Amino acid sequence: MVDFARVQKELQECSRDIERSGIKVVPKSDGNLAHLVGTIPGPIGTPYEGGTFQIDIALPDAYPFEPPKMQFTTKVWHPNISSQSGAICLDILKDQWSPALTLKTALLSVQALLSAPQPDDPQDAVVAQQYLRDYQTFVGTARYWTESFAKTSSLGIDEKVKRLVEMGFPESRARSALETVGGDENLALENLCSG
Amino acid sequence: MEDDCLGTDDEFYTSDQEDDYSIEGLEESIDGLENDESDTQWIPPKGTTTKVITQESLLAAQKEDLRRVMDLLFLREHHARTLLIHHRWDVEKLFAVLVEKGRAFLFAEAGVTLVEHQDNEPLLPSSTIMCAICMEDVPSDEATKMDCGHCFCNSCWTEHFVVKINDGQSKRIRCMAHKCNAICDEAVVRNLVSKSHPNLAEKFDRFLLESYIEDNKRVKWCPSTPHCGNAIRVEDDLFCEIECSCGLQFCFRCSLQAHSPCSCLMWELWAKKCRDESETVNWITVHTKPCPKCHKPVEKNGGCNLVSCICGQAFCWLCGGATGRDHTWSSIAGHSCGRYKEDKEKNAERAKRDLYRYMHYHSRYKAHTDSIKLESKLKETIQEKVSLSESRESKNRDFSWVTNGLSRLFRSRRVLSYSYPFAFYMFGEELFKDQMTKEEREIKQNLFEDQQQQLEENVEKLSKYLEEPFEHYDEDKVLDVRMQVINLSVVTDKLCQKMYECIENDLLGSVQLGIHHNIAPYKSKGIEKASELSACWVNKVNTSDKDLPFHCGTNGGSTEPEHPSGSGSSYESGCSSRKRPRKEGPGGGFFDLNLPAEVVDRN
Repeated sequence: MVDFARVQKELQECSRDIERSGIKVVPKSDGNLAHLVGTIPGPIGTPYEGGTFQIDIALPDAYPFEPPKMQFTTKVWHPNISSQSGAICLDILKDQWSPALTLKTALLSVQALLSAPQPDDPQDAVVAQQYLRDYQTFVGTARYWTESFAKTSSLGIDEKVKRLVEMGFPESRARSALETVGGDENLALENLCSG
Repeated sequence: MEDDCLGTDDEFYTSDQEDDYSIEGLEESIDGLENDESDTQWIPPKGTTTKVITQESLLAAQKEDLRRVMDLLFLREHHARTLLIHHRWDVEKLFAVLVEKGRAFLFAEAGVTLVEHQDNEPLLPSSTIMCAICMEDVPSDEATKMDCGHCFCNSCWTEHFVVKINDGQSKRIRCMAHKCNAICDEAVVRNLVSKSHPNLAEKFDRFLLESYIEDNKRVKWCPSTPHCGNAIRVEDDLFCEIECSCGLQFCFRCSLQAHSPCSCLMWELWAKKCRDESETVNWITVHTKPCPKCHKPVEKNGGCNLVSCICGQAFCWLCGGATGRDHTWSSIAGHSCGRYKEDKEKNAERAKRDLYRYMHYHSRYKAHTDSIKLESKLKETIQEKVSLSESRESKNRDFSWVTNGLSRLFRSRRVLSYSYPFAFYMFGEELFKDQMTKEEREIKQNLFEDQQQQLEENVEKLSKYLEEPFEHYDEDKVLDVRMQVINLSVVTDKLCQKMYECIENDLLGSVQLGIHHNIAPYKSKGIEKASELSACWVNKVNTSDKDLPFHCGTNGGSTEPEHPSGSGSSYESGCSSRKRPRKEGPGGGFFDLNLPAEVVDRN
């Protein structure tokens, strides 16, 4: 059984500190402490700055003696995070986990990972290659993904879809086109016209 | 290592004068031979370094290594074990790291933390501490501080241990603190886990104990099925063949049946080849075509390329496609193909040649293996013959030459049968294709085959003489048979030895990749029987140790004194041409307290 007393305390501790760390952990649904949602702000001075990233957290039965399972639900362009699934490649979430770590410290480590990518141990080979070979483009793409997916203020994807639909494209195609180009409306339009 | 107690193993390594017979000088050597081989039952000489480790002696087996490390580094047992597990029970390597990189490095690398606790003020039983794991305040007597100084509550420790043990990480359970590399004290683990999960605590103990087998290149489980429960420990030479006390003979390196002079790789390939008859399959694919209708393989037995299957379907032999029945010599109705014929013929020839080659070696290998089986029956009849002869009035009542000859026959027969798969690979194209020129290969093959042939002749002769009804012969004739058998025994032994020398030096030694084909050395006296490691001295030497995870009773079963009688035996008299260095046992070490006093005194 998950140690819910500890999880409860962790959540309290985290919310007390939210002003300073910006890190938030809340239950995904009421009354189920085994499934949580974490939120981390993109670190300042990185292409992720200004974004807010959501992370799905599933606690295994033996938590805290086994690591929590974490996965980005917000799309991120980063060598150690899968651009497809959001899976995170981070040692403390695997064999280097210690029961003395908490959800907050784990999320802080994820945040640190955003500022210090390790392209030599990649989760997403495409991103890692781009990071190593063409850093400028990498920064551009990462910033763009942050703008498109990690900002509530930015134009929502739904509105873009709506506009493309108004131009006469079917909604499903418009949505997938936007997804493949990472949310850029013009690129999506080009894509739709050529396809 | 040094548990051979008597320190006399230098004797048996050097004493092969007795084996220096020549056929001319046979007369004077006969006595030597008989003394030499009077024990057909292979008695482990007192210096046998190969040990059987039973459930009971497993603890004793590792005690010695543990003690060496504990004594040198002034450590407690669990720290010594942690170090040894980290270094896969290689004490020499561990000491080398100590010398080269120092104590601190050795400890840190293995996760041994020895902190001098300045803050060692005893926690008052009434006080509470905050456990950083469950985030509760717990009374300090319900918390445990590890050697590394980290303190957590007992229930969190227990939970942590349970998860790790179930995860198969018993051998290296680290402290719960983040980035603390320290390995937890096994006594604490055992103590805490056994309170709530006694079964798991047992499992933990077993994992720790068996680490000595699992993580140790010198120790291997006996591959018997059903498993006899034993493990075998060898010293120095890991390329050897061993007989476990359960009777199973196996190659220590690959755990398959004893197969020298085949190398492990050769034997693996050979066994696989025999198993799936891949040559037959190969032949079928090349020589037959599946009928397009019933899919049975069809072989063409002559005639033109329009083939009809027994199911009635006609098809083109060249491309395998179904056709009509109307055809001429040059074309088949409704069909036209006919390229690459030459290619296919080449393939067919090749497959045929490979198959014949395989069959050649396989039939000889099989013939000798079958002979071994038949000759095993000979053992019983020979016993009868011997007892019959012994009951007769005769000057000569010593018939040990018969049983000795029989053992020699078995051993030589073994060598002979395994020499065929060896030759198959040595002179085939699979392993050493580009390592020899065609001429070189021919010369070497001739050299080897000459030896093989000589051995074969003598083995057959030996077999013939042993089958003679000597129990009905008169005395002179018996003496004659005796002479022949003894003579042939010596000759086959020599020939086996020479064949191994040839294989190791002239054949495998000369090819580049031969290094991957180390073979177990020839043992004139047959495959070495591992002697049981006595479990008992531990009780006497180490009674001070309170951490014995399981009790090795004084009736440990395996406590025979290790044959202190007899002077230097020549069991290693066989081929010693191996170039790999063999360490002579250093002698010293522990006294076996089970030995008679006069034997211990001799030291």
